[in-house]
Amino acid sequence: MREVLAVVYREYLIRRTSPTWLFFDLAVPLLYLLMFGVAFDKALGHGLRIGEAIVPYNAFFLGGVLSMSSFGSAMNQSYGFFVDRDNGIFYEFLTYPMTRGQFLLGKILFQCVMAVVQCVLTIAAGTLILQIGIRWELLPFVFIGMTIGTAGWFFFLAIVAFRIRRNDTFNTVINVAYFVLMFLSSMFYPLEQVPSWLRAISCANPLTWQTDALRFLTIGLGSFSSFMLEAVGFGAFLLLSFWFAVRTLQKAL
Amino acid sequence: MKNVKEIVRLAFTQYLCSDNFIHFTTRVSDFAIEVLDLIKIYQKRRHEPVKAVNGISFEVRQGEIFGLLGPNGAGKTTTIKILTTLLAPTSGAARVAGHDVVADPLGVRKQICVVVQENAIELYLSVRNNFRTFGRFHGLTSREIEERTDRVTELFGLREYLNEKGLDLSGGLKRRVQVAKTFIVDKPIVFLDEATTGMDAFHKRATLEAIKEESRKGRTIVLTTHILDEAEELCDSVAIMNRGRIIARGSVEHVKAMSLRLLYLTLSLETVSQDVLQAIQERNPLNIDIKNNTIEVTVREATAALDVLAAVKQTGLLRHFEITSASLEDVFLQLVDKKASID
Repeated sequence: MREVLAVVYREYLIRRTSPTWLFFDLAVPLLYLLMFGVAFDKALGHGLRIGEAIVPYNAFFLGGVLSMSSFGSAMNQSYGFFVDRDNGIFYEFLTYPMTRGQFLLGKILFQCVMAVVQCVLTIAAGTLILQIGIRWELLPFVFIGMTIGTAGWFFFLAIVAFRIRRNDTFNTVINVAYFVLMFLSSMFYPLEQVPSWLRAISCANPLTWQTDALRFLTIGLGSFSSFMLEAVGFGAFLLLSFWFAVRTLQKAL
Repeated sequence: MKNVKEIVRLAFTQYLCSDNFIHFTTRVSDFAIEVLDLIKIYQKRRHEPVKAVNGISFEVRQGEIFGLLGPNGAGKTTTIKILTTLLAPTSGAARVAGHDVVADPLGVRKQICVVVQENAIELYLSVRNNFRTFGRFHGLTSREIEERTDRVTELFGLREYLNEKGLDLSGGLKRRVQVAKTFIVDKPIVFLDEATTGMDAFHKRATLEAIKEESRKGRTIVLTTHILDEAEELCDSVAIMNRGRIIARGSVEHVKAMSLRLLYLTLSLETVSQDVLQAIQERNPLNIDIKNNTIEVTVREATAALDVLAAVKQTGLLRHFEITSASLEDVFLQLVDKKASID
């Protein structure tokens, strides 16, 4: 545990020196909800029809914004490997007395805390400004969902970061992946109304699983059984990504 | 004399270990590092495989300063990367502080600290926070870190830079911070890959003294360097690598003796006349180098040196002379050159 906390301490010191990074982590998805969400809510008028229910777009989009912030935080943190490589410190880290797994856990633990803080801000804005009805009793599970989501995406993106040497290539790959994953998921729109081929692909996307789970936990949209199925799916995605990231890091040089 | 020095050093090392000064948690062995038939082949797609390390074997005794020398691309850094668990070997075995680098990499990492070849400091953190993070990673308490930071910043002349960010330091200062970090922890084995690169003469001297001091405390130090004077001054034993192989190893004196008994005769003369030059050339020296009124003659064997000396003395122009044996650099150049021509 000492080793993991040493990495967390280091991440904390670095983040403290970078207000830009802090701004991106804490404010960008919130602004997304307030600007994009409000605009679509007005454009759609009476909200979205999902099954028998009518859901305001703001409320529907909240789960999407939360998974967007998880993904964004993980993306930011995985880009940090390139900064560490440029500083040369990356290779020194790998000689420190800790396992590769402890190193990766430490790297993401601080970011998970940031994701939870971001989640609190987003939910606060959603309820206070946009009057979204939240299932307060499930809030702790939302935090757990944010933590698991951020960690899962970080381990997945870390695999890409270790396999790609150049940061410009990494940026391109990640931005394209982000775009594809976002629009092939339930982040912006309900999948019931999209073409069947798009729905089939989206259902296999872990971002859909995370978004649906967070949507269920925040506003109660969807069934418990599908929530459980997607939560287990994302858990498996997290474990597989972690295992593969550790293996890739062992061969990262 | 060397043996006495060795016995004193071993006794001192044992004393320090018994006092828990250095926390050896592994099996007791005479060797801090054991390398056996180590091979590393880099295999890249669409490229021919490169054998960076080609079956090397050596041992490093506890408390010794060991130098791994060789030209660029010799395989030194690859060897260090394997020993510090950054790379897995293709075949062969290596044990560091009794731990196998492949089977127990964490065990190895708990016993070492490393100055990697790349400049490695936290650019966005102050020098003080660089020490703090490094100390925490190696299990020091905040109080220990503060105390040791004081001592180390004094030693490396970093006190005035403590609150500067890494980003604002010059290349030499960054290197100093990187090296200084390793001296705040008590790991029994230290790897220094080109540690003094980019340092000015003053701080290079301070670093070399600090390395010697740490060695006296019983730490084993493995260093790679291009600066052979540095190796000659510091190392108890060396291995010279070229093209992935070890071409010479042993104590510095032992390796120097491999120079085929080269001797350097420096002759200061009244004037460099034809008679003197002819007298020298008739004795077929290996090399003659004339600088003003001084002639440097390279010969093999002491008898040849005395023969040249006698002949020059007969001309009546000799003021004084000096006979020196080959330096580590001479041996290095000779061995590497010879190996290249054989290959």
